[in-house]
Amino acid sequence: MSKKRSNFGLKLMAMVAGFALAVAFALPEASAQQAKLKVGILHIGSITDAGYNQAHAEGVQLMKKNLPHVEVIEIENVPEAADAERVMETMIKQGAKLIIPASFGYLDPALRVAKKYPDVKFEHPGGYKLAPNLGTYWASTPEAFYLMGIAAGRTTKTNKMGYVVALPISFFLANINAFHLGARSVNHKVETRVVFTGTFLDPPKEATAANALLDQGVDVLGVIVDSPITVVQIAEKRAAYSVGYHYLGVQKFAPKGWISGIAFTWGELYTRFAKQIMEGTWKSENKLGNLASDYLTIAPFGPAVPGEAIKLVNAKKQDFISGKAHAFTGPIKDNKGVERVKPGEVWPMTLLGKMDWLVEGVIGQPK
Amino acid sequence: MSSAGRALQLKKGKLASLARFGGLFGLAFMAFALVLLVFGKNPIRAYADIFSSTLGSAYGFSEVLVKMIPLILTAVATALPARIWLINVGGEGQLYCGALLATWGALNFNNSPAWILLPLISALGFLGGGLWAMISGFLRARGWVSETISTLLLNYVAILLLNFFVFGPWKDPESANYPQSAPFPDAAILPAFFGMRVHLGAVYALVSLILFYLVLSRTRWGLEMRAIGVNAEAARRNGIPLSRYIVVLMFIGGGCAGLAGMCEVSAIHGQLRPSLSPAYGYVGFLISWMAGGSAVGILAAAFLLAVIAAGGDILQMAHRIPGSVVNILMALILFFVLARKAKGR
Amino acid sequence: MIGSFLGGLFVGSIHAGTPLLYATLAEAIEERAGIVNLGLEGVMLMGAVAGFATTVETGSAALGVLTAALAGGLFNMLFGFLVITRRANQLASGLALMFCGVGLTALLGMPYIGSQIKGLNEIPLPFLSDFPVVGPVFFNYDILVYLVVPMAILVWWVLFSTRWGLSLRAVGENPMAAFAAGKNPYILQYQALLIAGFLGGIAGAHLSIAIAKTWAEWMTAGRGFIAVALVIFSKWHPLRAIVGALLFGGAIALQLQMQARGVPVSPFLLDMLPYILSLAVLAVWGGARRHAAPASLGRVFQGTE
Repeated sequence: MSKKRSNFGLKLMAMVAGFALAVAFALPEASAQQAKLKVGILHIGSITDAGYNQAHAEGVQLMKKNLPHVEVIEIENVPEAADAERVMETMIKQGAKLIIPASFGYLDPALRVAKKYPDVKFEHPGGYKLAPNLGTYWASTPEAFYLMGIAAGRTTKTNKMGYVVALPISFFLANINAFHLGARSVNHKVETRVVFTGTFLDPPKEATAANALLDQGVDVLGVIVDSPITVVQIAEKRAAYSVGYHYLGVQKFAPKGWISGIAFTWGELYTRFAKQIMEGTWKSENKLGNLASDYLTIAPFGPAVPGEAIKLVNAKKQDFISGKAHAFTGPIKDNKGVERVKPGEVWPMTLLGKMDWLVEGVIGQPK
Repeated sequence: MSSAGRALQLKKGKLASLARFGGLFGLAFMAFALVLLVFGKNPIRAYADIFSSTLGSAYGFSEVLVKMIPLILTAVATALPARIWLINVGGEGQLYCGALLATWGALNFNNSPAWILLPLISALGFLGGGLWAMISGFLRARGWVSETISTLLLNYVAILLLNFFVFGPWKDPESANYPQSAPFPDAAILPAFFGMRVHLGAVYALVSLILFYLVLSRTRWGLEMRAIGVNAEAARRNGIPLSRYIVVLMFIGGGCAGLAGMCEVSAIHGQLRPSLSPAYGYVGFLISWMAGGSAVGILAAAFLLAVIAAGGDILQMAHRIPGSVVNILMALILFFVLARKAKGR
Repeated sequence: MIGSFLGGLFVGSIHAGTPLLYATLAEAIEERAGIVNLGLEGVMLMGAVAGFATTVETGSAALGVLTAALAGGLFNMLFGFLVITRRANQLASGLALMFCGVGLTALLGMPYIGSQIKGLNEIPLPFLSDFPVVGPVFFNYDILVYLVVPMAILVWWVLFSTRWGLSLRAVGENPMAAFAAGKNPYILQYQALLIAGFLGGIAGAHLSIAIAKTWAEWMTAGRGFIAVALVIFSKWHPLRAIVGALLFGGAIALQLQMQARGVPVSPFLLDMLPYILSLAVLAVWGGARRHAAPASLGRVFQGTE
């Protein structure tokens, strides 16, 4: 009885092994066509998250539309751990010559892989270290957040605003600071509370954080996590106002309470990257866009925003673009009373990576 | 029966069980193929891609080895205490504690040369995991708390502890306030071979596996452990120090998992981060269990699961399936092994 | 000030504690029958994704919750087949179930990421919610929250006051003896797992349909494992589980509330407390009454099962 069984098992095993080997070696390579450029992009989450990842994904899609000879290898939900390196290397082995590791935590793995493959170019969003073949890019968002603050400061009824933020990364802190400064410039009574969830995506925790803020009397909720859906929905449900981030399409989740939002429209930028690589004019640099760039977009205003606030926003926007105004003009004290920017001075956008404090009037722990 | 005859029987038995496992794996692979078909994917292509991306190239193979290292170590972490029927589900937490202590060493002795620093943080890694597991061992030896429960609970505490350090005191001031430790000095990074990521940790894994086998089969300790395994009460009455074995085996087992943590943080990440381990501790438990505590079995199971885990990327890239689906394949393999094994009892 | 803090904390604890309590009740039933299910996480995920998907497709949150319960129950039957009929190792089977759930739900949930639902809305309790200040904060929850404590009481009553519950606990203590007394331990265990699966599925659904109103891969984030710890913390007793869930849920809510108020405390150290507390409780009280756990379960934990 058992002999029969073990024979069967043996045969089965041999069959499966032989089958697998035959198939592995007999089938031709996955991609047979000739593409002028292969671009690999790694996402930390899902590309339908109406947030961070979808913005990157649509950027890459637009690039593909603009440049039909470009092929895209896309992979979602890559954890910010050891696997990221392997994924990048696999893409390179498949012929990718441009890698976009689209998450903050991919920077160090990307730098390691970049060292191994000097002829492959990398563009990392939000990175703060460069390599000969690794460039970084981001849109300097504080000014946009300042504008959001102006709109929010004039829309809030309770003068309490709140932010649900993933991690106390300097760039996020800078955004919150700018938001608060913008609000305060039109409304001296506002205060901003910040809650950090500790991770880029955890909808139940974001929901709890949002509710906790609303319980404190906050009536404007902003969000800096990968997918703004949860927080925006909760704001809308509890009749609060919301400020979106990452993706324009979030507005539909809050038809009544939407103030405005900041969206990334990376398509043309990615098209430029691809073109530069194909033409051989690419160079490694830190590209910091601003309000005038085509990859930073202010969302349309919602019905609750008063008309005069919109006027103020547009005026300030012009001042930012022309260079007349800056988001962090001194004097600025942090929320522990330490002076961070002296009167008449400006905290430069290039030093955003060093901003590990929160502005006076913001309640939160940037630990 | 003659000893030659006995040896032959043993060989036949081993072959039979190998074939049995092969058959079960085959069934699992076919079931997974069915799942893929249901979702409109081509399973043949998928398997071809998995195999060619992992075993069809030197790089792919090296990545499989990279994944095998922590898996073997966490498997031994479970298998060793299992010999005296201790259930160690705490590999994950022990891994984290090993990484924690190793990081402390790397950050505080960062001016030492490699030949001092590497052994130091290796020892610290072992110590970190070992001490963490020893808590559970102690609680069990005193008859207070079952080690199954305590190792499970302590997993969570370990992860939170790591988060605490990485978000707080050990946060790298140079990394834009992002939760990760300062990068390890070069002297604290485990060297890798052939320009791939396979690193010295492979030696740790192999040595621990070999020692595991030798101690169990060739030493007096192994004999005493087997005695405990057969009948703990009788063994204790015969003078075998049961409590000491409980504590020591948990310590050593935890130490192995701690080594895995140290390897991951030193060789793979180069710094301490919250996302240190993709459930290596739990998968190691499953490997040890599947292998029935046999060293060769651990090697084979770790290999298989490493291939599957590493193959997830290609599924996403070429087939638009979330990489997480390889968990289904792993689960299916386990289901078939579990369902079959029990019946044999 | 204190009022709003306590109020916010209470509300947060209830929100966070409800899915935990459902999950804990599920695990408690299973463990009372002598089965440890480490794969509860997977069951919750199945409920979460099934519930969310159904709500998206049909627009009915009620249907979503129902489907979630069914999905959880069915998924748990897979586990049941392994550990009851095939007598497989429970811990390994549970972990395998968890991995299966994570992978399967990632696949199933893929088309639903970014979808929008109205979800389960809050139902203000008439009259009670009209109390000034206290009312809208304390008595304005969705139906699953209102039902969870009655559910806990129901589970307690069933386990301790019905014949079925008695038989189930007998199986958990000593299946052979129960068999000798004329009960069929297998059927009883299957029934327990089915009910537990329903509850676990509901727990997951609460996360996706009521709290977050969205789906994300592995969105239970370890809550299934927390429930396993919670069962231990509550000494396998459904009523104590209410306190436990509130405490654990409170820990999650507390650190977020603290942040919202600007109190500088490390959320991680705070989050550790429930687990350390569980261990302490067991070490101090479990030792004296060594068999706080159902005996057959104890054998699983001792490895002799």
